[in-house]
Amino acid sequence: MTDEQYVVVRNDEEQYSIWPAGRTLPAGWHDAGFGGARQDCLDHIETVWTDMRPLSLRQGG
Amino acid sequence: MSGDGVLTGPTVVDAIIARARAVPGAVAVAQWDEKITYSELVRRAALLAARLRELGVGPETRVGICLERRPALVVAVLGVLLSGGCYVPLDPAGPRLRLLDMAADSALDVVVCDQAGAAAVGEAMGDAAPRRIAVPEANEPAGPDPAGPAAVPACPATPDNLAYVLYTSGSTGRPKGVAVTHRNVMTFVTAWAAISGAGETTRALAVASLGFDVAVLDQLVPLAVGGTVLLADDADRADPARLRRFIAEHRVDWGFLTPAVLSLLDPAALPGWRTVMCGAESAPAELVNRWATPGRRFIHAYGPTETTVAATAGEVTAPQAGPVPIGYPLPGYRCHVVDERLRPVEPGAEGELLVGGPAVARGYIGRPATTAAVFVPDPFSGEPGARLYRTGDMVRYTPDGRLVFLGRRDGQVKIRGQRIEVGEVAAVLQEHPRVTQAAVEAVPRPGGGLELVAFLTPEDAPDDAGYAASRLTAAMLPARVLRLPELPVNASGKVDRARLRDLAAAGRPAGDVPEGTTTTERALAAIWRRLGVGADFFAGGGDSITAMRLVAAVRDELGLDVTVDDVFAGRTLPEIAARFDKAARRTEPELTRGSPPTLAPPQRRLWFLDQLAPDAAPYNIALARRLRGPLDREAMRAALRAVADRHDVLRWRIRQTAGVPYAVCEPPSDVDLPVTDLSGYGPAERDARLRTLLAAGAAAPLDLATAPPWRAWLYTLGPDEHVLALTLHHAVFDGWSVDVLYTDLAAAYAASAEGRTADLPPLRASYADYAVWRAERDLRDGAADLAWWTEHLRGAPTVLDLPRDRPRPAEQTYRGAQAFLALPAETGAAVRALAADLGATPAGVLLAGLGRLLHRLTGSADHVIGAVVADRRVAAFDDLVGFFIDMVPLRLRSGDEADFATQVRRATRELMDVAAHPAAPLERVVEELGIARDPSRAPLTQVMFNVLNLTEPRLDLPGLRGEEIDVDKPGSPFDLTVYVMERGGAFEIEFLYNPDLFDAARVDAMLADYANVVGALAANPDVAAGAVALPERLSPEAAPGAMRVAEPAVAPLPPVGAGTAATEELIAAIWREVLERDGFGPDDNFFDIGGNSLALAAVHARLCVRLGRELRMVDLFRYPNIRTLAAHLDTRADGPAGPTEAVNPEIARAASRAEARRNRTRRPRRPSTTGQENDHE
Repeated sequence: MTDEQYVVVRNDEEQYSIWPAGRTLPAGWHDAGFGGARQDCLDHIETVWTDMRPLSLRQGG
Repeated sequence: MSGDGVLTGPTVVDAIIARARAVPGAVAVAQWDEKITYSELVRRAALLAARLRELGVGPETRVGICLERRPALVVAVLGVLLSGGCYVPLDPAGPRLRLLDMAADSALDVVVCDQAGAAAVGEAMGDAAPRRIAVPEANEPAGPDPAGPAAVPACPATPDNLAYVLYTSGSTGRPKGVAVTHRNVMTFVTAWAAISGAGETTRALAVASLGFDVAVLDQLVPLAVGGTVLLADDADRADPARLRRFIAEHRVDWGFLTPAVLSLLDPAALPGWRTVMCGAESAPAELVNRWATPGRRFIHAYGPTETTVAATAGEVTAPQAGPVPIGYPLPGYRCHVVDERLRPVEPGAEGELLVGGPAVARGYIGRPATTAAVFVPDPFSGEPGARLYRTGDMVRYTPDGRLVFLGRRDGQVKIRGQRIEVGEVAAVLQEHPRVTQAAVEAVPRPGGGLELVAFLTPEDAPDDAGYAASRLTAAMLPARVLRLPELPVNASGKVDRARLRDLAAAGRPAGDVPEGTTTTERALAAIWRRLGVGADFFAGGGDSITAMRLVAAVRDELGLDVTVDDVFAGRTLPEIAARFDKAARRTEPELTRGSPPTLAPPQRRLWFLDQLAPDAAPYNIALARRLRGPLDREAMRAALRAVADRHDVLRWRIRQTAGVPYAVCEPPSDVDLPVTDLSGYGPAERDARLRTLLAAGAAAPLDLATAPPWRAWLYTLGPDEHVLALTLHHAVFDGWSVDVLYTDLAAAYAASAEGRTADLPPLRASYADYAVWRAERDLRDGAADLAWWTEHLRGAPTVLDLPRDRPRPAEQTYRGAQAFLALPAETGAAVRALAADLGATPAGVLLAGLGRLLHRLTGSADHVIGAVVADRRVAAFDDLVGFFIDMVPLRLRSGDEADFATQVRRATRELMDVAAHPAAPLERVVEELGIARDPSRAPLTQVMFNVLNLTEPRLDLPGLRGEEIDVDKPGSPFDLTVYVMERGGAFEIEFLYNPDLFDAARVDAMLADYANVVGALAANPDVAAGAVALPERLSPEAAPGAMRVAEPAVAPLPPVGAGTAATEELIAAIWREVLERDGFGPDDNFFDIGGNSLALAAVHARLCVRLGRELRMVDLFRYPNIRTLAAHLDTRADGPAGPTEAVNPEIARAASRAEARRNRTRRPRRPSTTGQENDHE
């Protein structure tokens, strides 16, 4: 499991998560352009997901 | 709650304001005498919200709440939400550095505080402390805008704004804040209100800390539906006795507790609590079986904070065995069971639980990576962009769609309901400068549950984890520390956790507990060791739950009225023991007032007998009173109503669910008083008709389920002569009650006749209070009293067959007839003289004489007969109408060798002894003795001895003279009841007997024999009783062939093997459900394998439902094993039964096998709760 590859994914509310590389992405989720080991993906998210409010809230508020 | 069950949104605070508009005067929050109505709650919350907005609070602003548990806490929660902000609970008693961590993590700028909260915040944060604001007082003016609920400005938050942040244990050494939105909260509150049936009348127990998300359940759910939140403060929730009192006196009917706390309460003492919810840790099956009693819903819930309080819940019923299911996904929640690659497992297979839907939280405050790791894309719902929360909990589905919790996937544990990452605890411990490495393991503790053990290196590391107390909650703080040169590692170089657990088990400080020198210390030390606590209670692994357990055990076992405060203040065993020594001895359980209708054990017994013989009425009590003078009928009607009003037990109904009885109380209403005019008849005709009518009124069964348990009639004999007749079911009445009833009736009549209300002093208790008090007493003393009874009755005969005239009917008929005899004056004088000589009572002399009469009639020197004992042991019960009588077995040894004086002393002693062990009711004694049930006779006691030393009842009605009229008794509950009365200085003996057994001539002869035996022995008390010459015996030997059981007149015995396998399996399945056990065969007797009368009633109810027809309960007695019952049922179902068989060989064989088994071995009476255990033979 440790050597499994993941991709960083993002939904339309700009919420981030990770997803096993190569598996079909669930509806409404998009590849955020970063892949690698699980921890690497999570470390990447730690740097790019700076405002954790959903997008609609950020825009509305 | 609105009819369609939909709450008014978009936020929970909108829903609460909508309720406030609908029920402004209803109580929203109460704590003892302090109450806040809905309108006041909203007014004060709006005032707080306005002040918070002035401080810049709005959507997404986090506001701390640091308050003691007073009703103002609820105002604060609502005020923060109404301002649009998000609340962050801070515990004023919590670890200071943890408060600081949370305030910093949430970037708190404002905290709502009281005095204690302000001090805590100041201490934790010093100069960096956020601004503090108080909750508006109750009497504070609303300001320029005196807004009622109608004018409250709407909550500016949208559904996706945050409602609260709750901190949970994180593996990194810092707590992580779960961010929960209004949409999440509304989803949960709507779902929970629906599944728990909360509504406007709900009286909700609130004990959860605000920092524990169950507070959302126990505060916001009831408020959203217009119910009342009953907020227990810290003292009331920390002590089991106080918590019980809080629940009882606040009339809680709906509430959530963790299993650890729930297990410390007694369900029988809290009958009004009808919806019991339990979770946070898996409830053990035993706990469910204790609490899921008829008339009570038990909801078992599961869920992490990240899915908003819960995820699944389900009602569970007793009996449970093995893991109790956590129920179904809540409405709006979606549950998926997946493998480690997040693919669904086969149905029923084990996997990790993922939860989706609108209750999935936003994530963890300021932790993008941690959030992304566990809030993952949802591939199942098809909803674009949806997320699932990975719970880390392993579960599986049962075939009926419920989930079962199996354990954790990782290092998370639950201590006292709190979720704890052992990694967080270890990380905090490692911060100490003298600690090189730290590891933490959770291991089972002797008192139940888990405890944390810390392993620190090197060997001179601190030996106590107290240094981390500023960062760890009480549950997170390790109970013990083991210091090691280095942590053990396994082959792969990782810390060897199994080895650590072994070390933890080996290192338990068992020998640390002092033995104790005083009695209290020694007793306390035994309990202490059982709970697995070290020398200093708190340093040695004690915690608040253990303190509650210790207090409960000391109250139960040592009978001392101690409190949790004694434990907290004392800390060490000698100190705590010294405090306990000063505590008052609990002579009797406390009396709780205001209990809802609750059955006492003797009432259940009579209810059962009513089910067994629905057409008989041997337990009716009939009173009739001749009233001479002008009667005010309307005043009499008003007085009857006033009596029913005052004594609510007269308005009870005893209903059943699945064969288990429970009481409900009807509202006061007029009492029917039909009037029959007999004045047109001549005196002889009139008296004959009256007697017939009185007897008929006495003998008509009272249906406890559907009608009042008493009836009244008025007979007019002339213009100024009436008879008032009352028939009351013994289940709500006894001999003592006559005086109470007449006194109250007279006062109410006099008042009504004068057009005023009666000024009777208020009752100090109700019958239900007695039942609750008694349940507690029986629980406390039941085991000891039962042991006394079984020892006392060891080897005693359980059948007493007097010589009779006819075979015993196969089913007891309860028919009654009476015979009287006044003892000759010289016999009476001898009885009194002997009693005085011996320091005994006349009753003791007459009882010893009865023993000798029985010896003369049966030839045996050892008999068990019944007696009655009054259970009015608390002064507050004196003024109550009700059934306060226990039937007890009494053992009489009446051999020839002992002199009569000795036998009188023994009998007197026996009367006192049997009264001193009231906590084990008769049916428990019968069950414990393993007595074979037989529908032809009452179990254990067939002859009864009853001394009526009551004064002549007085009913003083103004302007009326009265006298009591004897009414023919409606039936005979036993073969023979011997009543002894003293009237006008003379002893009168009455025999109430069943004429289906005895002819009147025989009974008259027995009465004469009794008088002769007593007379002769009382005159010769000092010689061996067998040597005293007696007058010739008058009662004849048994009639030929009479000493057997008659063949049944109805329901002929079924042919052998007539029962189908399907019927046998149906019966077996019901037995398994009711008895919670397996491993019996078709020939096993129900009563031999753990069944009792009430269990039989449960079997009867289920059988009727599943077969879709009415069965006679008594047939379940007649066919006590599966094979014969199945044969009986199938024969009856197939139409006319075959020819009667005198002796059914199948039944005879089964009976002889059962008899042989009884003689060989006595099995434990309590069935196994696991359902796994097999026959012990």
